[in-house]
Amino acid sequence: MIRLIDVVKKYEVNQNESVIALDNINLEIKKGEVVVLRGSSGSGKSTILSLVAALSKPTSGEVVVADERISKLPDSFASDFRRNTIGFVFQKYNLIPTLSVEENIILPLVPINLDAKEIKAKLERVLGMFHIAHKAKQLVKNLSGGEQQRVAIARANINNPQIILADEPTANLDSKLSLSFVEIVGELKAEGKTIVIATHDPLFFGLDVVDREIEISQGKIL
Amino acid sequence: MRSRINFYIVEYAINSLLRQKYKTVFVALVLTLLIFLLSSIFFITSSIKYELHATVEALPEITVQKIKAGRHDEIDVALMDAILELHGVESAVARVWGYYYFENAGVNFTLMGIDEYEEQYKKSFVDAATKLDFTGTSMLVGEGVKRVMDANYYKEYFNFIKPDGSLKRVDIGGVFKAQTELESNDIILMSKEGVREIFDIKQSKATDIVVRVANFNEVATIASKIKLLYPDTRVITKDDLKISYQNIFDYKSGIFLALFTTALFAFFIIIYDRASGLSSEQKREIGILKAIGWRVDDVLREKFYEGFIVSLFAYLVGISLALAFVYIFHAPLLREIFSGYSQLKTSFALPFVLDVQTLALLFFLTVPLYIAAIIIPSWRSATLEADEVIR
Ligand SMILES: Nc1ncnc2c1ncn2[C@@H]1O[C@H](COP(=O)(O)OP(=O)(O)O)[C@@H](O)[C@H]1O
Ligand SMILES: [Mg+2]
Repeated sequence: MIRLIDVVKKYEVNQNESVIALDNINLEIKKGEVVVLRGSSGSGKSTILSLVAALSKPTSGEVVVADERISKLPDSFASDFRRNTIGFVFQKYNLIPTLSVEENIILPLVPINLDAKEIKAKLERVLGMFHIAHKAKQLVKNLSGGEQQRVAIARANINNPQIILADEPTANLDSKLSLSFVEIVGELKAEGKTIVIATHDPLFFGLDVVDREIEISQGKIL
Repeated sequence: MRSRINFYIVEYAINSLLRQKYKTVFVALVLTLLIFLLSSIFFITSSIKYELHATVEALPEITVQKIKAGRHDEIDVALMDAILELHGVESAVARVWGYYYFENAGVNFTLMGIDEYEEQYKKSFVDAATKLDFTGTSMLVGEGVKRVMDANYYKEYFNFIKPDGSLKRVDIGGVFKAQTELESNDIILMSKEGVREIFDIKQSKATDIVVRVANFNEVATIASKIKLLYPDTRVITKDDLKISYQNIFDYKSGIFLALFTTALFAFFIIIYDRASGLSSEQKREIGILKAIGWRVDDVLREKFYEGFIVSLFAYLVGISLALAFVYIFHAPLLREIFSGYSQLKTSFALPFVLDVQTLALLFFLTVPLYIAAIIIPSWRSATLEADEVIR
């Protein structure tokens, strides 16, 4: 489902300085697998997620996701790929605070001009699945952190993508809410989704629901 | 497919404008004000141009004035006979007219004498001659004169003060209308006899002589012949007058141009401000939209609608306000810049001249420019790598 081949990612800090965020990464994740990328801050976990989501391109090497060589995709195809194949739960959620819950959730559908009935059906499915229906009309900025995360998860699932990526999903949650996130992971796994979680939270280490843990350190897989 | 109008994006754009209420209202207000200013200036300029053109067209082809001690003096009516003899002259009319200073309002009126059976040298006078009562002491007054007299309670008649200090009462017989208001506004029409009495002009004298020429190409030749015949006269052709009118207009439109440039300058400052960058919030929003699957062109389409809605609104409101300001309220303040020209001191209405070209020019000066100012920075932001949003 996901393959990284000899991937190097460099960031140009300025003209004569660059940071090597990923240093020759080779990695394969199968369909339906739940994988945890673990490692200290700055090790390169988020960079891997952004490559898999086609949010950025590798400096060298190849990224193949759902049989697409996404490291070669032109920009507009990358957008379509993100909308159709990837559900990204960002560390900072990346919701639009001045829009309501439902407006945020259907945001990925806005450019594709579906008819209203279809949008409603998709919206109701995720509102129910992630227990946020009672807050549908509220502005996101008035929600608690846990509720905002459920909105972010609902938005990531609105198009029923095959792959869910989550970046530090428990960084802003207390232990109770963190556990309910783990529960959600279980539900998504049951639907057959491929899930990659980047985290340094020990909560995820040795969990039943997690199939594999990959340790990253200084841009390399240990 | 994706080419038909996506109303969800339109809705998102409207929503986005509403979410930034104060900013939207502020930008729309400033834009509206600028478009209002620009279009007012355009409207006034084209109206005055039209008015001026019509006024000049109504002028006599040749005017002959007597000059004495370097000043305009009364001319002998007898000169007409020799002028009529000249080959190519169609007609000549001795005019009796002058300026009457109306103290109460501090303005000058133009007092024009006409004869019942004379060939009228102006088209507008033909109609007036049928309306004017030549038997009694009656006059027709222009709109501007009527207003001033009404305001000073001279509703039915007016007492002119003659040079010897005695009064002459003249009844107001009606309102005089010409093709353009500029032409008729400050005019009082009465019989030549009446004007002679008020200004104390003898029967053998006139204010000037106007000459009509059959062939337009002969105007200059005939003018120089008259000048040769009577070296103590000044012979003015329509072309001379056109030039001096044009000079006044050019000077006035220079002032307008300055105002216009200022307005345009302010407009470009807004454009520049918009084009020079987005707030970090706006950038973040674009990043989020891209990260969840919007294409660059989806983002730009949304921004296009935002810009289009605001600038079209400002355009329509600005134009409507300008139309009302110029043609219903007669452009107070702005018009003052123009109203000093010719001897005209009383206020006048601007003729309604609205051409599609002016409207189109205004549209293309504002709406697309503003939309571009919205889209360009968004485009720059949207084409950056989207991975900023994961930081
Ligand atoms: N835009 C960027 N410019 C320069 N350096 C960056 C940029 N993004 C990430 N980095 C660097 O790349 C490395 C990996 O970052 P990241 O993938 O965010 O790590 P993690 O998510 O594991 O904390 C870090 O050293 C970070 O400073
Ligand atoms: Mg990270």
